[in-house]
Amino acid sequence: MKKMLVLLTLLSIFAAGAAFAADPIKVGYLAALTGDYAVYGQTEVNASKMAIDEINAKGGLLGRQIELVVYDTKTRNEDAVNAVRRMIENDKVVAILGANSSGINIATGPIVNRGQVPQIATLATNPNVTVDAKGNVLPYSFRICFTDPYQGALAAELAANTLGKKKGAVLYNVGSDYAQGFREFFVKNYEAAGGEVVADEGFRESDVDFRAQLTKIKNSGADVMLLPGMGKDMALAIKQAHDLGMTDLTIIGGDGYGAFMNEIAGDAMKGTYWINHTYLEDPGMAPVFENYKRVYKDDAKEFVNITMAYDLTYWLADAITRAGKAEGPAIAKALTETKGLKLNHATLAIDPKTNNPLNKAGVILKVGDDLEAKFFEKVEPK
Amino acid sequence: MDTIVQQLINGLSLGSVYALIAVGYSLVYSILLFSNFAHGGFLVIGGYICYFVLRSMEMSIWVAAFAALFGAGVSAVLVEKLAYRPIRERTPITLYMLIASMGMSIVIENIFVVTIGGRFRALPPVFPSGLVDFMGVATINQSDLLSLATAIVFLVALQLFLSKTKWGLAIRAASYNLRVAGLMGVNVNRLISIVFFVAGLLAAVGGIFLSVKYTLYPQLGAMITTKAFVAAVIGGLGSLPGAVIGSLILGLAEMLAAGFISSQFRDLIVFALLIITLIVRPTGLFGKSVGEKV
Repeated sequence: MKKMLVLLTLLSIFAAGAAFAADPIKVGYLAALTGDYAVYGQTEVNASKMAIDEINAKGGLLGRQIELVVYDTKTRNEDAVNAVRRMIENDKVVAILGANSSGINIATGPIVNRGQVPQIATLATNPNVTVDAKGNVLPYSFRICFTDPYQGALAAELAANTLGKKKGAVLYNVGSDYAQGFREFFVKNYEAAGGEVVADEGFRESDVDFRAQLTKIKNSGADVMLLPGMGKDMALAIKQAHDLGMTDLTIIGGDGYGAFMNEIAGDAMKGTYWINHTYLEDPGMAPVFENYKRVYKDDAKEFVNITMAYDLTYWLADAITRAGKAEGPAIAKALTETKGLKLNHATLAIDPKTNNPLNKAGVILKVGDDLEAKFFEKVEPK
Repeated sequence: MDTIVQQLINGLSLGSVYALIAVGYSLVYSILLFSNFAHGGFLVIGGYICYFVLRSMEMSIWVAAFAALFGAGVSAVLVEKLAYRPIRERTPITLYMLIASMGMSIVIENIFVVTIGGRFRALPPVFPSGLVDFMGVATINQSDLLSLATAIVFLVALQLFLSKTKWGLAIRAASYNLRVAGLMGVNVNRLISIVFFVAGLLAAVGGIFLSVKYTLYPQLGAMITTKAFVAAVIGGLGSLPGAVIGSLILGLAEMLAAGFISSQFRDLIVFALLIITLIVRPTGLFGKSVGEKV
């Protein structure tokens, strides 16, 4: 009996081998798997793998299986650039998914465009990810998220009009492309909406103590503060603001929000607002989150990363199918021509002039008394 | 006025944390004449031990803190035995140990990244975290007061250990001349182990308070130790009072520069201060100007 089983297993492996004899389609995933933002990166890779396993189980694409080649950026531009070179030259990937930060994608842009391998960012919101300094589109650079001008406008609208706070402060990382862009567009729109920026404070990437800047903001009389940052620095700033007794200050942050911030800032998170791409209660994503929790035995806290990486993988699958062949230029063309593609979190169409998604809605979350980020409002672009 | 008081408090609270780390640097430097860049790793080890004893074993903070201090001390001794002693026995050039320490710091950080992951971890709320009102003009977190008090207690205890005990005397003798101390019958290897144990223990104290203040993650050591190293250099590497004073100066300079000049220019101002100190007093504020003996 045992021998029979072994034989059967061997046979089935042979059968499977024959069916999938064609080389797999290699797709790269670029993510920060170590470093400060490893949580986001690991979640994205997991979510993308889950989508790829689903696609492979249904027979793959163009009769071939997909293989994910994962590289760590270590949150450093130079490591990301090396990783992308290796993906293109050694691994011969046909497309690259990720990364999730503007700085990394701006750094890798020239390489993927020279190598003619499309790269799709998950959460890189800086305009220069997909267009060069002169405003010309980079034909191989894409993203699935909205951009900072829009995010900045949403934050300004929320602060000045929805909440009626007209004295604003900004605390941003001077070394981050994302923070610089977000801040610039917030200030522009906030001033247009009748707000006044009374404090504009910076810090450096590795800083963990913002009390000097916060004390200045406290004395400036600001009633709302924008944090265009990443999870750790925003959470520490919120905690320290609370320690300085700045409890009346309304805090608005961007899509760097992560649930782990509760561990750092605790009760100080209550009542904070977050501009985001999606929300946990999104009915379209519920089955995906369920699956994710089951497969990875994880509580799916980084739901934005799951959503973006999962839907991104299906977007690429759709483009490869439409392209009819697994080659960079054909896939890039198919990605640019995406129209009315129904994904779990949104219906996607791409603007060929900028390679940005058209008309993506923004979501505003508010952290409730139970420290859960709840849906506050959905803002359709005007 | 309110602002100045608040910024001074902020600066002292930051400086006291730098001091715990800077003292460890200076202690090792005073004996072996090299900067142990793996020092930040001991801090992270202490932080994680405290975290796991609290979270997984649900012990009291006293047990957790004791385990963290002891564990970090032992790992510091092990690092010395594994990485520095073989070099020390082969060559008198301290540059090699400096490079080995940079390697060890990366090794320790990555051991945590690979085994435990890069996730940010917060210690359970075992420390008081309420706010204290300071004469109506400023507020301070209770855990900051506690860290200031603990830092003072440990620094005083260290001073007593160095000035009142036999091993303290041996360490002071060795800081003048390690070779001669050895010739006088001091067991040099054991002495160095003790120095590393004490340095690791102090780093763990800093690590616990840093994790409470800024959360725990593998890179925590790397970011704070650069600052503590700068503080130790300002105060004069090798001098313990210098390390404490240098740390307070650095903490205050950072806060005041950010608060009253410009937060964007803070690091520029602070590091200019470092360079000016080194030009005016190359050995730092309290450094020994013995110079290399031939």
